[in-house]
Amino acid sequence: MAAKKTSVPHHVMVIDTNRCVGCWTCAVACKQVNNEPLGYWWNRVLTTAPNQSTSAKPPASDNIDVPFGTYPDLELAYLPVACQHCNDAPCVKVCPVQATFRRDDGTVLIDFNRCIGCRYCMAACPYGVRIFNWGDSTYAPGGVVGYGKEYWTGDRLVFTPERPKGVVEKCTFCVERIDVGELPFCVEACPLGARIFGDLNDPDSQVSELVNNGGGEQLHPELGTDPNVYYLPVARRVPGES
Amino acid sequence: MATTTAAIPVGSTRTYRPIWGWYAALVVLMAWGLAAWIYELHYGLSATGMRDVVSWGMYIFTFAFFIGLSAGGLIMASSAEVFGIKALKPLSRLGVLSAAACVTVAALMIVPDLGQPFRIMNIFIHPNWTSPLIWDILIITVYFVFSVVDLYVLQRHATEPSRWRKLTRVLAYVGLPTAVLLHSITAWIFGLQIARSWWNTSLMAPLFVVSAVLSGTALVTLLALCAERFGKVELSEDTRRWLRGFIIVSLFVDLFFVGADYITVLWGNVPADRSALNLVMPGGPWAWLFWVEWIVGGVIPLAFLLVPRLKKMPGALGLASVLVIIGVYAFRIELVVIGFVNPLTQYPPGNAVGTYNAQTTSFQFIGRYHPTWVEYGIIVGLVALFAAVVTIGYRALHVMEPSPASGQGRGRAAVETQASS
Repeated sequence: MAAKKTSVPHHVMVIDTNRCVGCWTCAVACKQVNNEPLGYWWNRVLTTAPNQSTSAKPPASDNIDVPFGTYPDLELAYLPVACQHCNDAPCVKVCPVQATFRRDDGTVLIDFNRCIGCRYCMAACPYGVRIFNWGDSTYAPGGVVGYGKEYWTGDRLVFTPERPKGVVEKCTFCVERIDVGELPFCVEACPLGARIFGDLNDPDSQVSELVNNGGGEQLHPELGTDPNVYYLPVARRVPGES
Repeated sequence: MATTTAAIPVGSTRTYRPIWGWYAALVVLMAWGLAAWIYELHYGLSATGMRDVVSWGMYIFTFAFFIGLSAGGLIMASSAEVFGIKALKPLSRLGVLSAAACVTVAALMIVPDLGQPFRIMNIFIHPNWTSPLIWDILIITVYFVFSVVDLYVLQRHATEPSRWRKLTRVLAYVGLPTAVLLHSITAWIFGLQIARSWWNTSLMAPLFVVSAVLSGTALVTLLALCAERFGKVELSEDTRRWLRGFIIVSLFVDLFFVGADYITVLWGNVPADRSALNLVMPGGPWAWLFWVEWIVGGVIPLAFLLVPRLKKMPGALGLASVLVIIGVYAFRIELVVIGFVNPLTQYPPGNAVGTYNAQTTSFQFIGRYHPTWVEYGIIVGLVALFAAVVTIGYRALHVMEPSPASGQGRGRAAVETQASS
């Protein structure tokens, strides 16, 4: 991140879909650092056609890595989706007890000690990225992996390696890492450098350049949620389309 | 009085034959519900059929259903006063009693749905006023308190009409907007959500209000018919006609609203809207909801209420009421479940389900939902609680008996006394 900072950073992630090859490294790295139980995916990689919005058309197949279209006119692209950390987040608005909240840096977090488990946020999220602890979770054998400690922001418990049952969880932008100047683990893990993280308040940062001049787009911009995750569209022109 | 006659002397306090078998059955069902809840507390919500894709289920649509049922009684009691419908006045106290019981059951229905029920006080410690849920809890509380106060005032009014007349009228005027607000706010829990186009319609609040009037009137009709069957009261032809009219009109408006929503989706070709509607349209996996809503809860009850030969059959009104209630329940299931089943992201591998099963994927495209015995158990227990509250309330408060002031006969003077009070 750039050295020059305004008082509060505005954390933004840019995902370059030109670079994403759908290897799921970010998703697995996320599972590891956050000790996600078996079956939980805070971060997942959708198989899409290039530059399709996520509601454009029904899937070509129920399986991942299946190209869209008919041979030889096949198309394949990937869309990694985790919490979009919206500035006008529906989950924050609907939470009856303010357990889900937005920090000044734009990060949307959940207080595990306050959540009553009503799951209204899961109904309200347009991206379907929230996961509920329905019962006692099954963890991969070998004990806690990753960060492995509780993390508090103020008096809010926003991460704990083994989640209590009956609360909602999701991507935290690796709040415990970004607070000490490290990158979210998916950004660090991506072998293709498709994920760029930084401070939008810093005009010289790479994310400012990509969001302001690089054509960064939000998911479902029409819903007005104003996410802090931006996607760089696939630059290649589709043959036959202007 | 003109509308209801009871075969008992005026002013006497009737004693009822105890019905221990009925109470015992209700207690058994409530105990079963409680046991199911304790089981759920131990194993968490994994004991239910809900998972991340369909993350609200039977508790929420039954909650919305009972909120709707609570309308009829209060709206009927208030309309009787506000619009001067004399024929419905004998049902006032029964209606308000059922409203109070329904809203109690609805409020309790939320508790087993919570993942952390023992943190429920957080709602009052850290309320978030942008959440429709907070407003709903507020209006449910107001509505419950109002129903209890209204019932008390109506009880006093029954014995001392002159003294309590004014307050009865005031409460009737307050009752109508309170009921409309209760259903609107409950509708806005769903209707305000931009995430799911199936819910995100401004029609939601009007639709909830009208389906609440529909199912609530049908419930009061059923309760009144039960009172006629098991008690010694008799519904007048006039009362029946008004109940039938209420059901017919609200059923027509209800189907009109639902149909208007279908047309709006069908004319366009918005993928998310169409894929949701295709799930319930004939041929879709949830088409049974469509048939229950339109045929079982629509066409058949309308036939029993409108076709001259059918509506003269004994039990036609009761049958139509039962079918209408089933239809409205199907609408509630459709509203909640289809909202979740319709995928948010239509790309592989779909949404994470959040549970690990060695045999299947941890992703799911189309949501599936089958309630478990725990959910059925808790719902049945709460329905038994409703039945117990209504039975005990009916007997303790003598809600269907005429007030002494109204006189015993069917004379004109008695009618006017009742009307002016």
